[in-house]
Amino acid sequence: MRLEKLLGDLDDPANPTGAAAILAADERGEMLTAGEAVLDEYCLNAEFVPAALGGRLDDLERLVEVMRTVYRRDPVLGLGYGASSLISGVLLWTAGSPAQKEKAAKRLLSGERIAVAVHELAHGNDMAGMELAATPAADGWLLNGRKEVVTNIQRAQAVVVFARTDPKPGPRSHTLMFVERAPGDGTADLPRFATSGMRGLQLGGLAYDDTPAVALGPVGSGLEQALRALQVTRTVLPAMATGVLDTGLRLAITHLSRRKLYGGKAIDLPHVRSVLAGVFADLLKAEAISAAGTRALHVVPGSTAVYSSAVKFAVSKLVLDGMDRLSELLGAHFYLREGPVALFQKLLRDLAPVGFGHIARAACQMSLLPQLPLLARRSWRTEAEPTGLFRGDLPELRFDRLALHAAGQDPLAASLAAALQDNGIPRDVRATAEANLADLTGLAEICARLPIAELGVDAPSRYYDLVTRYVGLLVRISCLQLWRHSADGFLADPAWLSSPDALLAELLDRHRDHRYFGLSGRRLA
Amino acid sequence: MKVAELEALLSAHEHDAWSPELLAAHDDHDRFPAEAVAVLDEAGFGRNYVLDRDSSFPEMTALIRAVARRDLTVAIAHGKTFLGSAPVWVAGTPAQVSAHADRVRGGEIVCWGLTERDHGADLLAGEFTASPVDGGWRLDGEKWLINNATRGGTACVLARTDPRGGARGFSVFLVDRSRVPDEAWQPLPKVLTHGIRGADISGFTARGAVVGDDARVGDVGDGITVVLKALQLTRIACSGLSLGAADHALRIARDFAVDRRLYGRVLADVPHVRQILGRVAATALTAEAVALVATRSVHALPGELSVVSAIAKAFVPTQVQRLLGSVAELLGVRGFLTSAPGTGFAKLERDHRICGIFDGSTAVNRAALLTQMPRLGRLLRSERVDAEGVRAAAHLDAGLPAFDRNRLALTSPTGCSLVQSLPRVASQVPDVLSEVEDLAEAAAGFVPAIGGLPGTAFDLAARYERAYAIACCLLLWSENDQAGEQPWLRACLAVLLDRDDEEAFDAMAAVLLDRKAPAFSILGEAA
Repeated sequence: MRLEKLLGDLDDPANPTGAAAILAADERGEMLTAGEAVLDEYCLNAEFVPAALGGRLDDLERLVEVMRTVYRRDPVLGLGYGASSLISGVLLWTAGSPAQKEKAAKRLLSGERIAVAVHELAHGNDMAGMELAATPAADGWLLNGRKEVVTNIQRAQAVVVFARTDPKPGPRSHTLMFVERAPGDGTADLPRFATSGMRGLQLGGLAYDDTPAVALGPVGSGLEQALRALQVTRTVLPAMATGVLDTGLRLAITHLSRRKLYGGKAIDLPHVRSVLAGVFADLLKAEAISAAGTRALHVVPGSTAVYSSAVKFAVSKLVLDGMDRLSELLGAHFYLREGPVALFQKLLRDLAPVGFGHIARAACQMSLLPQLPLLARRSWRTEAEPTGLFRGDLPELRFDRLALHAAGQDPLAASLAAALQDNGIPRDVRATAEANLADLTGLAEICARLPIAELGVDAPSRYYDLVTRYVGLLVRISCLQLWRHSADGFLADPAWLSSPDALLAELLDRHRDHRYFGLSGRRLA
Repeated sequence: MKVAELEALLSAHEHDAWSPELLAAHDDHDRFPAEAVAVLDEAGFGRNYVLDRDSSFPEMTALIRAVARRDLTVAIAHGKTFLGSAPVWVAGTPAQVSAHADRVRGGEIVCWGLTERDHGADLLAGEFTASPVDGGWRLDGEKWLINNATRGGTACVLARTDPRGGARGFSVFLVDRSRVPDEAWQPLPKVLTHGIRGADISGFTARGAVVGDDARVGDVGDGITVVLKALQLTRIACSGLSLGAADHALRIARDFAVDRRLYGRVLADVPHVRQILGRVAATALTAEAVALVATRSVHALPGELSVVSAIAKAFVPTQVQRLLGSVAELLGVRGFLTSAPGTGFAKLERDHRICGIFDGSTAVNRAALLTQMPRLGRLLRSERVDAEGVRAAAHLDAGLPAFDRNRLALTSPTGCSLVQSLPRVASQVPDVLSEVEDLAEAAAGFVPAIGGLPGTAFDLAARYERAYAIACCLLLWSENDQAGEQPWLRACLAVLLDRDDEEAFDAMAAVLLDRKAPAFSILGEAA
C-alpha cells in the first residue's frame, strides 16, 4: 500500500511520522504537521470524493484499509485530517445538488477541509433537539446559534451545518446547510475544547450571527438525509479504528518478548499467551463484522440502517476491551508516557471516542431496538445465501439507496441458516453455528412479539439487552461467513474460529514478519 | 483524625489548595500538587499512617478514601508514606518503630523502593544489593518507578544480601537520605505517566551508600518475608484509593443524570439509564463491602490476610475500573473533555488505572491467591471458620482487637473464614450455594501448574474473589441487623451473580440519585 510506505516505519526514531514524532505532537496538543504533509502529498481527501466527481471513492473496503494505515499510527491524524472531511462528504454526496457536490469535491480535491457541525453540547445524540436556527433570506439562509465540540471547525474552509428550519419539534424541522467561510460572515470562534485523548485534535466551536448559508436538499429533509448518509460513517469510522488494536497488540508482543519474568520470557507465560490470543480473536471479530457492514453499504444499502449501528456498537466494545486487556498485560509499562511502549497509552486515550463519538453506543441500541420486531418476523427465520455480502466485486456505492429503516431485511442474519446447508462445514464449526441458529430463533420469538409502542426512549432495560444479544449474533455470523468465503490462507482454515493455539501461532508469525494483524494481513512498512 | 474533620478541612480549601481547577492544572503540567499536600501535612495527616496498637485500620482506610474522592493523585502521592512505612510497622524493633513513628507524625515523606527496571513484580530477581561493611551495609543498585523517590526523605528498600538470592537472600533497609552523601544516592528523573501525572514517580541509584546496621528492618535474609507481610497491609489499604475514585465517579454520574435533558426527558428518568446507574452504584458497594470486611480483618483475622489482601487488591480496583468504564460510556463527551463542560472524570479515570497495577497488579495477586487455592478448596468443603473473627470483621459495632503484627503469616492455615462461612450464611440463596459447591470442587482440584498458570486459573481466582464479596455482603447484612428491605444487598448479589434484577437496580438508582453524603456507602449517610 502506497500510504503505508509514505508514512514509514513507526519504530524509526528518525521518521517524522514515526512514534516519537506522534508522541511529541500529542504532548504539545498539536496535530502532527509532518503527517498532514504526507496526507496532503497522498491527497487523502481524494479517498473521500466519489470517483464520478474526480476522487478515488468507489470501494469503502479500500477506504477503510487506507484509513487503518493512518489510525494504527495516529488516530488524531485519522480523525483530524481525514475522517471529519469524510463525514461532511457523505452528507454532501447524499443531500447536495449536482452543482453543490461538484463545488465541494473541488474544494476537497484541492486539499481544503470541510467540517461538519451537527453537535451542540446541550443535545448530544438527540439530533432532533438541535437548536441552531436557519431563517430564509433573500438569496439563501441566515444562521444563528452555536455549534460546539466540532473537529476542524476553525480551520475548515467550508462547513456543513445541521440547522433548525422549523421551531416545531419533529423529524421534518431541520435542514442541512452549506457555509463557505468568508471574512465578515458573522461567525466567531469559541475557545478550543481540551480533551484527555485526541489531544492534538482541533476541536472547536462557532457562534453564528446572521451567517449566510445555502440549503443542501429540500427544506426539512436534514434529519432524514443525515440519518441516511451517516450510516456510511457509523460503519467505516469504527472499522478504521481497529487499526489501533493492531498497534496495541504489536507493542504488547514486542514488550513481552523482551521482558523477563520469573526466570523466563513474559511472552511464554500461559496466561499472557491466552490473553494475546483472545485479543487477536477480538480484532478479527471486529474486522469481520466491519467488513460485512462495509460491504453491505454497497450491496444491500437498504439494510444498513441496522448494520451501521450494529457495527458501531460491536466494534467499539471489542476494540476498547481489547486495549484494556492489553494494558493489564503491560502492567506498569502501559502507564508510561516515555520509553518503548509510550505510544500505547496515547492510543488508549485516543480510542475512547470510538465508544461515544459520532453516535454513542446507547444511541445505537436505541436506533436498533424498534427495528427488531420486523427483522425477526421477516428475516430471522428465513434462509438465504446472500450474494456479494462477503466476497466479490462491489457494486457502485449509491447514497440515494440508503434507507431510514431496514424494513425487516436482514440478509446477514438470514445467511446463517443457509450456511448450515453447506455440507463442507466441519463438525465443531457446525455445532457452534447450530447453537447460534437456535439462539437466533429464540431471539426471533421474543422480538417478533415486542410491543412497538414500548421500544422508544423509555424502553425497559431488558429490551436493550436483546439488542446486545442480536449484535453478538451478527458478529458470530460474520466470522462464520468470513471463513466460508475465504479462499486461502489463515482465514480459510476454520481453526481461527475456535483454537487459541492456532490464533497465537498466527499472531506471532505475523509479528515476526511485520504483517498487519487484521483481516488483510498485509505487510507493514 | 476523623473523616468529618478531614472533610471540613478539605472543604475549607475548595477554592485554593484543593480547588479542582488547580489540581487539574497541576495534572496538565505534570506538576506535583504541592499546595494540596501541604494542607494535609499542616494538619498532621501523617499520624494516620502510624500503625500501632491504638490504630484503627478501617479508619485509616476511610481517611485515604476521603482524600481520594477529591483527588486520587494527591491520595496516592501522600499515602505512599504508609506503604513505605509498613515494613517498619511489621518488622521494626521497638526503637525503630518509635523513631519512625515520630518522623511520620512529623510529616516525613517515605518511599518504598521495591521494584526495579527490568524485573517489576519479580522481587526475587532484584539486583539492588546490600553488602556488609564495617558497622553496617553498603547499598548499590537502582530502584525504578518509585512513588516519592525524589521527594522522600526516607527510603525503605528491598536489597539482595545474599548474592545467590532466593527466598532468604534479601533484607529490608530503612535509609535516612540526610545521612547519606548526595553522590552516593541520586534520584532518577521524573517519569512521565498516563495518569497521576503530578505524582513524583521516579527512582534512585545508590552507589556505595553506607548505612548502619540499625537501618536494617527485620533479620538478615528476612526481606521477602517482611515485604510480603507489609504488602498484606498495603494491599488492603489501597482499597481506600479505589473507593474514593468510586465516590467521585458516582457523584459525577449522579449530577450528570439529574441535570442532563435529552429527548425531552431528564436522563435520571430514562429506565435504561437508571439501570446503568443502579448497576454502577451496586458495583461500588460490592467493592466497599470487601474493603470494609478486609480492613476490619486486619484486626479480626490477621492470620488470614495472605488470602484476604490478595482478594481485596484484585477485586476492588477491578470492580471500580469496571464502574468507571460504565460511567465513561454514560458521560460520553463530558467524560472526555478536560475543559468545560468536562467534569474531572477524564483525570480520575486515568489516575485510577494505576490502582490495578501498583503494589502488586491484579494478575500478581491472583497468582498469589492461587498458590493457596487447593487448601482453600478443601477448607471450603470442611466449612471450618473462625466464627469469632468473622463476627468481629463483619459486625460493624463490634469492638476490634488491637492490631497484632505477630499474628501475620505468609500463608493461611485456616483458609478464608469469610468464604468458608458461605454455606451457612447463604442457606437462603440457592444459586450461591450451588456456586459454592462448584467452586469448592474446582478449587480443591486445582493443581498449580509448572511453567506458569493458565488463563483458566485466573478465572478461578476471580471466581473465588466473587465468592468472598458475596460472603462480605451477606454477612454485613446479617450481622448488622439490617432487617427488612435493603435494596443494596439484592443489587450487590445481582452484580456478583450476574443476574438481571431490574427492580433492585432501579431501587439502587433511586438511592444514588438521592445521595447527599460525600461517600456512597452501605453505611448510608453516616459514612
